[in-house]
Amino acid sequence: MIQQTATILWNQQVGPACYRMGLACPQGYAKARPGQFVMVQSGPTPTPLLRRPFSIFGKIGASDHPEGIELLYKAVGRGTQQMARMTPGQTVDLLGPLGRGFHVPVNAEKIYLAAGGLGVAPIRFLASVLMHDRGGIDCTLFLGGRSQEDLLCPDDFRAMGISVTLTTDDGTAGQQCLLTDPLADAVQAQPPDLLCACGPHGMLQCIAGIAERFSVPCQLSLETTMACGMGACLGCAVPKAEGEEGYHHVCVDGPVFEAGRIRF
Amino acid sequence: MTPDLSVALGGLRLANPVMTASGTFGYAREFAQLIDLNRLGAIIVKGLSLQPSKGNPGPRIVETACGMLNAIGLENVGLDAFVSDKLPFLKTLQTPVLANIYGTNIEAYTALAERLNDIEAVAGIEVNISCPNVKLGGVAFGADARTACQVTRSVRTKFKRTLIVKLSPNVTDITQIARSVEEGGADAVSLINTITGMAIDIHTRRPKLANITGGLSGPAIKPVAVRMVWQVARAIQLPVIGVGGIMTAEDALEFIIAGASAVQVGTANFVNPRCTMEIIDGIANYLREQKIASVKDLVGSLTHDGFAGVDRCKIAGN
Ligand SMILES: Cc1cc2nc3c(=O)[nH]c(=O)nc-3n(C[C@H](O)[C@H](O)[C@H](O)COP(=O)(O)OP(=O)(O)OC[C@H]3O[C@@H](n4cnc5c(N)ncnc54)[C@H](O)[C@@H]3O)c2cc1C
Ligand SMILES: Cc1cc2nc3c(=O)[nH]c(=O)nc-3n(C[C@H](O)[C@H](O)[C@H](O)COP(=O)(O)O)c2cc1C
Ligand code: FES
Repeated sequence: MIQQTATILWNQQVGPACYRMGLACPQGYAKARPGQFVMVQSGPTPTPLLRRPFSIFGKIGASDHPEGIELLYKAVGRGTQQMARMTPGQTVDLLGPLGRGFHVPVNAEKIYLAAGGLGVAPIRFLASVLMHDRGGIDCTLFLGGRSQEDLLCPDDFRAMGISVTLTTDDGTAGQQCLLTDPLADAVQAQPPDLLCACGPHGMLQCIAGIAERFSVPCQLSLETTMACGMGACLGCAVPKAEGEEGYHHVCVDGPVFEAGRIRF
Repeated sequence: MTPDLSVALGGLRLANPVMTASGTFGYAREFAQLIDLNRLGAIIVKGLSLQPSKGNPGPRIVETACGMLNAIGLENVGLDAFVSDKLPFLKTLQTPVLANIYGTNIEAYTALAERLNDIEAVAGIEVNISCPNVKLGGVAFGADARTACQVTRSVRTKFKRTLIVKLSPNVTDITQIARSVEEGGADAVSLINTITGMAIDIHTRRPKLANITGGLSGPAIKPVAVRMVWQVARAIQLPVIGVGGIMTAEDALEFIIAGASAVQVGTANFVNPRCTMEIIDGIANYLREQKIASVKDLVGSLTHDGFAGVDRCKIAGN
């Protein structure tokens, strides 16, 4: 974990209020793992006061850029709108990498990835690492959103050689249903060795149910409001599974958890 | 000239007046990669109870204008796990470590104080009296001058090193509570704890915190905290520790000028984990620029000179 000033390399709109931000951060990210996140402070405090958490969307290699990371974010409020107004050359204060990422067992060969909306951010990093490091691994992506324009970067996955199933609420792309419908069918027909997901709470709850029903190992990346991102404030509590007392802290125990360890 | 930053709180000598506020600095180890923990004046760890406490359901925090509300619910590992899991690391530091304690009855506070008295690595305790007193139907210990005095006195009989009592701002007259805590035998008081607040999501019409209400901290509370420190510093003889919304050295200096002998930095640790280091450096720079030899000379140095037509006695609060 390092606190550093990171220079914005690009900040491009890629969807409705969605942006990809490239950050040059020479220190600390060589060993960053998919599912880990950063805390960004994008302007002078105190408005907004707290840093904002973002999953690492990808790493930027040293070959054609300064080394660093990329974020994918949606401008939903004060902090992210401020980020959306920033231009290359400006800087943000970056704390990271933080938290525990996905852990894909070495013998896992067939992996289902599920991403809803902005949940695609950590899933893309995971996909790129798996496809790069694990020759022959079989990954399938289920990507869902409200409308076609909310399906961010499916082509990134296709370019990696991953087969992609799209769903939208309004039928403007892929199947008109929830992402969990084709996912449940696929899990039943051909159970994977591991299911990894990130997205809205309801979607994750449903996916945890599917994983339990078909006894498939499942890892979920959770979101909560966070103040510190490093285990100091205890603000990011989620209840432990039935039978276990107390709370996990998403920023240090997660954000990625075995589905069976969470109570929805 | 290297200004003297050292201060004394009862028998406890701090290399500088900058401490970390309870509940905002974990058990210090969380920050070990980011700052030099040995440069801190003192470390106050997360509020401790005899038994582990799991805290409140989420959402536990929400940002508000220039501040945040928290309802952590005093989640902590409990005394035994503190001693076995957290203390070994804290013992490796040169910085004095203070435990912040709370209970739901006087016996619990006293039992904690007695146990901590035997642990030499704990340089002092800070008693959080903002907690509801179960026997008194949930009224906070810190809201009642008599119980505040009783808790202090009872803890004092069992704890021989530095005893700080942390005052709640959620009272009508904080100086009254401060006086009763002084009478109870405290070595110093710290103030303020968070101010009770609330925020509502108008779309769902639900409170933004699962606990409904929470404690407000951050820059939003600084003017209230400075005012209370100023009032209390003139009401009692004990050293006062200023807490509330300190983000920069300038903020810390305001408290010191108002009468604080030391300060605690809380919410700012989340925003800028390096801020305590910057605040220590900033105080030293200010003293150097102002040619003040010791930070002790600045404590309570508020002047009222130069306001035309203002009666000097007003600043004395008469
Ligand atoms: C571990 C983690 C990883 C994340 N990764 C990403 C990411 O890769 N890309 C991305 O766009 N966002 C991500 N988020 C969510 C992101 O942190 C929030 O969208 C951001 O904090 C909003 O800040 P704001 O100031 O713009 O909005 P605010 O003004 O704080 O809030 C505006 C609106 O956004 C909603 N909101 C606030 N925080 C969250 C949250 N944590 N989750 C969902 N809704 C929220 C609020 O309900 C509110 O209606 C992540 C969150 C966590 C905890
Ligand atoms: C997340 C959080 C947890 C806190 N936990 C405690 C605690 O356990 N005991 C305590 O006495 N004060 C606790 N406080 C209060 C702080 O120590 C401090 O008094 C208050 O936040 C005001 O200072 P600040 O504005 O610098 O944060 C907590 C504050 C926050 C924000
Ligand atoms: S966000 Fe502070 S402990 Fe997790």
